[in-house]
Amino acid sequence: MQKYALIIDNERCWGCKTCEVACKQENGKPNGVKLIRVKEDGFRAGGNGLDFVFEVNVCRHCEEPACMEACPEEAIVKREDGIVILHEERCSGCQLCIDACPYDAISLDPQSGVAQKCNLCYQRVDSGLLPACADNVCLAHCIYFGGPEEIREKIRKGI
Amino acid sequence: MHKFSYSNVKREMEVYGYDSVVKSHCRMCHGGCGVYVYVKDGKAVKIAGDPDCPINHGTVCSKGIASIQLAYHPDRLTYPVRRVGAKGSGKWERISWDEALDTISEKILDYKKSFGAESIVMGYGTGRENEGVIYRFANLLGTPNVLTAGHFCYGPRIATTIITCGSNPIVDYENHPKCIMVWGNNLVISNPDCYKGEPFSVSLDAGAKLIAVDPRLTRIAARADIWLQLRPGSDTALALGMLNVIVNEKLYDRQFVENHVHGWEPFVERVNEYPLEKVEKITWVSKEKIRNAARLFATTKPAAIQWGVAIEQQINCADNNRALLALMGITGNIDAKGGQVLFSAPKIRNVSQFGAHKMLPREQAAKRLGGDRFRLAGNFAIINPKCVWDAILEEKPYPVKMLFFISSNPLMTRANARAVYQALQKVDFMVVSDFFLTPTAQLADIVLPAATWLEMDYIGDFWKRHGYILPRRKVIQVGECRSDHEMLNDLAHRVGQGQYWWDTFEGGLDYILEPMGITWKDFKKMDYIRGEVKYQKYKEKGFSTPTGKFELYSTLLEKWGYDPLPCFREPPESPYSTPELYKEYPYILITGRRLPGFFHTENRQVPWLRELHRDPVVEIHPETAKREGIEEGDWVVIESPRGKVRQRAKFFPGMDQRIISAEHAWWFPEKKDPGHGWDESNINILTNNSYDNCDPAMGATHVRTLLCKIYRE
Repeated sequence: MQKYALIIDNERCWGCKTCEVACKQENGKPNGVKLIRVKEDGFRAGGNGLDFVFEVNVCRHCEEPACMEACPEEAIVKREDGIVILHEERCSGCQLCIDACPYDAISLDPQSGVAQKCNLCYQRVDSGLLPACADNVCLAHCIYFGGPEEIREKIRKGI
Repeated sequence: MHKFSYSNVKREMEVYGYDSVVKSHCRMCHGGCGVYVYVKDGKAVKIAGDPDCPINHGTVCSKGIASIQLAYHPDRLTYPVRRVGAKGSGKWERISWDEALDTISEKILDYKKSFGAESIVMGYGTGRENEGVIYRFANLLGTPNVLTAGHFCYGPRIATTIITCGSNPIVDYENHPKCIMVWGNNLVISNPDCYKGEPFSVSLDAGAKLIAVDPRLTRIAARADIWLQLRPGSDTALALGMLNVIVNEKLYDRQFVENHVHGWEPFVERVNEYPLEKVEKITWVSKEKIRNAARLFATTKPAAIQWGVAIEQQINCADNNRALLALMGITGNIDAKGGQVLFSAPKIRNVSQFGAHKMLPREQAAKRLGGDRFRLAGNFAIINPKCVWDAILEEKPYPVKMLFFISSNPLMTRANARAVYQALQKVDFMVVSDFFLTPTAQLADIVLPAATWLEMDYIGDFWKRHGYILPRRKVIQVGECRSDHEMLNDLAHRVGQGQYWWDTFEGGLDYILEPMGITWKDFKKMDYIRGEVKYQKYKEKGFSTPTGKFELYSTLLEKWGYDPLPCFREPPESPYSTPELYKEYPYILITGRRLPGFFHTENRQVPWLRELHRDPVVEIHPETAKREGIEEGDWVVIESPRGKVRQRAKFFPGMDQRIISAEHAWWFPEKKDPGHGWDESNINILTNNSYDNCDPAMGATHVRTLLCKIYRE
């Protein structure tokens, strides 16, 4: 069974936020709902004193998703290929998944009243296309989609 | 070449049921990326990068993707309008294109007859690739006055590089420089003229050493091997300090210096006036760091300097550029593979020829506003904005009666915005061509609906120096919008220039391409054309300068009465030049850091882009904020001797505590008043446009550093 993962190399992210807008173009989420988000508060201590890094926050498609456990409606499922999908039509808006997620990667759409998260563009993946954010939009080429082993190999080779 | 993963276009079409896909060339900024535009039911519905494009290798940016939201924006102006109330009243009526262009042409001919063609000032902002047609129209009309951002953006790069080495040397990322010095530039966000961030990023991943010169800790600075955190506005001193090291440690390219430079001895004398002890005091950068950076840059081959607009919007504009050119030159990196290359354009009619500069009569050129004052600018057909405002307000040296701004919002982008407002209020007649009724357009008499890049055929990047041209293919039509090229082609016929123009602007595209023996219809079928790539052309032909050499000592600047060697001038407002003022305004304000999604004043009404950045943000060091009683997220007042504006405080520890960093070009399209809050957060309310605040040769207004105070609202 093909396994899928989305891996983002934060050290190479330039903070341009193209991934955020590519996601909007594909998934059309309303103002305020971001399935992928570039965080700008990444100051940290570094070799020369202060260092700064962008951190891209997106659903980790966890091995054992806490959100899935928390959802009373069984609206969140993990597929065999690793993609964790939140089925909006089954969501009651109880927000337990939002509380359960350790990564702050789920948000409530204030308009529809249901939870939203990255479903790894499964509608594209199932048609043989790449997720919108991983479709070579990133100028740093730091968003990887594919099999976890294959991605590790790519990062190791530096491509 | 790296191999990157991307979706198959054919599959994309099948899955989403798109009707067609058009390869085109984006112009949401000056990056100029190759894109695919997917079309369904006659509408553009998706933008993706073109993996085969040599500029962007398939990557895009937030602006490019959001082009569709711009094109179909509900507030977009889609037909010509005439103002029916007082200026700024927001009262407009729809008129036809014929009525609009007939009215404009009557006014042009009247003013030309009564006050001379020079009383009509044409203008553009950063330029939506309409530079060539605007200059062509102005020159054929006989006005020497085209007001652009050219006095402090890109124009200085062109002017200083031409007088020094014949053309603008572009970093050869394709051949991966081994050392890149990024000087006051955040190209991964801004994709500046002739560049896109992607090839830089790839070169860095390929192992290039990185030196960053920036007062702020950008991500580029954070990744740098050496970060030179200079005092804002001290760039020339820093560059001269590095040159001092390179000259005295004999790290320069001797062969190049012996055979190809002009003015070595006086140049050495000049750099010896900048020992590191002195430079450290001026720049706040330690001697050791300057020395290490100079050594790294001079001894790593090939090396390149990535520069941009920040060093140009200063009183040292021309000398900043010239000092960096000296660094490129004496280290032997000019026209070197993997260094900075004087790329040749394809053999077309270039933007200068197309601009018909030779058709402007000499006696008219002599009337160029500020031509005597800013002689480097004047020789490159560039003018300083204050010269125009003065001519309107004081009618000196002659009255300016008409402004015709095409893709320009000077009320937001030029220094001393209140003076700009006065001039726009007073001017007899003003026409604006733009996408929206911007704050500037609200003061116009007639506003024309301009086409976006999705709505035009054009030869993309033909004004650039990277050596490529790429076809921009029309995909959609929105309302009655017309490209600025088609509009001026039409207007030209109505003012008697018809013989120099064409039935439709496709004729203009054919004219540009003619020397290559192809037409637009041929070019439209191509992906791109690249000029011949040759390195070190100077070894055979010399440099295209008066001496044929790389002019460290500029014979042209000397002829025009300026210091032929670069020197450092203290910023007009600073802790050292105005210590008394510094007591009252105790912070150095830097302005205009680049934001993803916006291009100067553009895109604040585009939902996907505004969502990236809702409010104008002023960065303040947490310690400074504590001292001033400011909390994160507070609306604060930033005040200079010229005025005050409000922005929201964000804590930013990555800069000196004495520095405040504010954003530029903010207006609020969502505000109902016709001015859309143009003076609330507009940083140019604070900037100074006086002539002694400008580069003496280039007329660049020093808007990047000034003194301010900051307090809670």
